Amino acid sequence: MKTLQLEFYKIRRRNVWLSMFAMLGIQLLWGLWAMRNPKDWELASGWMSLLYSLSVLDGLMMPTIMSLLASRLADIEHKGNTYKQLKTLRPAACLYQAKALCGTIILIVLLALQAAFFILYGYCLGYEGNPDLHHYLLSYGLKFASCLSLFLLQLLLSMLFANQMISLVIGLGGSMIALLVMFVAHYSFLPWGGILSSTLVGMDWDKTSRIITYFYREYSPIETAAVVCIFVWVVVFYAAGHFLFTRREA
Amino acid sequence: MTALQKTISAERIKLRRSPVWLAFFGLPLISAFFGTNNYRMNQGILKSEWLSLWTQHSLFLCFFFMPALIGTYCSYLWRLEHSRNNWNSFLTAPVSHFALYFGKLFQGVLMTILGNAWVFLLYFVCGKLCGLTTPVPKAALSWFLCGTLGGIVVCCIQLTLSMWIRSFAIPIGIALAGGIGGLLITNKGLGCFYPYSLYPIGMRANNPNMELPAGQFLSGCVVYILICCAVSVWKLKRGEG
Repeated sequence: MKTLQLEFYKIRRRNVWLSMFAMLGIQLLWGLWAMRNPKDWELASGWMSLLYSLSVLDGLMMPTIMSLLASRLADIEHKGNTYKQLKTLRPAACLYQAKALCGTIILIVLLALQAAFFILYGYCLGYEGNPDLHHYLLSYGLKFASCLSLFLLQLLLSMLFANQMISLVIGLGGSMIALLVMFVAHYSFLPWGGILSSTLVGMDWDKTSRIITYFYREYSPIETAAVVCIFVWVVVFYAAGHFLFTRREA
Repeated sequence: MTALQKTISAERIKLRRSPVWLAFFGLPLISAFFGTNNYRMNQGILKSEWLSLWTQHSLFLCFFFMPALIGTYCSYLWRLEHSRNNWNSFLTAPVSHFALYFGKLFQGVLMTILGNAWVFLLYFVCGKLCGLTTPVPKAALSWFLCGTLGGIVVCCIQLTLSMWIRSFAIPIGIALAGGIGGLLITNKGLGCFYPYSLYPIGMRANNPNMELPAGQFLSGCVVYILICCAVSVWKLKRGEG
């Protein structure tokens, strides 16, 4: 607990919250622009389309945002060359867990704010009915798991390599892979495709009427396996990070 | 050896054996692979051959990834100065502040040119692999030149930001946000006034008519480049990064 408190203390003036809110701000601006002036058919399926749009937006941006977050948390120790000293004060595992937990808390706040804003915005636009609580909770739960797997992967890289360019380029490449996978499939076993796999809403575009129909996806066995894979990645990246960090020379 | 040559040489030594070129090599490769794949799958709708292929290659690369990639490189160029007390030795080097800045700018611009050339080489190779028999449009040279100029603007902005901000990651976040913001601003028709839009405008990304408001574009580029250079040198003269 104390180590976790110290993590938050360390990032107090490092603008970590500010940079995360700025990223959220970009998403909000995008939402304000992309969802403005909805047509009648868009209002009818508004809550479903919101889930779909958010998944696309997060699929694209979250790999990079998670790499930024992990880099900000890990880089402070590289810059001060403090790993070795910290290890003499606390067990290495404790330090790793504190960093992972600190990032997880920031991630939860980020996703909660995102959900709150977009639901409020949906009401302001006049979407019909209310958001389907079950699907929204499930969607955000799965999105959280996907983002967590990405964060743990990036934390592992950011802590292992002092050169933050490596982890940030991998995050950027992850965004690109996630975006491009969206064009060819509805699921992916790659860590960056987790948000795509966990998108609960699918869509069908009618070429003649130019109307999009949204529907809740029915998962095939392979798609279900891709969703399960998200949790496997969480465990694998956490365990790998824990193992590699506690055994590094610092 | 002049002061400019000395600083360029010093920057080259700092970058020696750095894996930074891998990013410039790898990310456009992913984009080209998926862009070509998308083109092949939709050849029924995308009938304009080279132009259609270019839309698939350029859209996401120009708005989302290239600004962040250039941002990463610029952050890397200033990374050494931001660690420990290297600002002291950097600023006390026996060359002018302009020469110090120019050394960095030269490397950034060189990488932007090479990165863009790689994007176009991939475009050409992918077009041939797709079996396009018509010649590459002559306008592609203009896309390359204008795109490179727009890329240099992004490079100048990012160099200034990375010099100012001590964090490695935050300027990259700004570049990502700037690129995405560029899509919105370009759609409003104000792209030439926004630095991160100049690259996609020059590359004619998301531009079905492939038109370029040449006067506005060139003046936008020149103004931003001059402002960034002036601000950076002024900041260096104040003796801090």
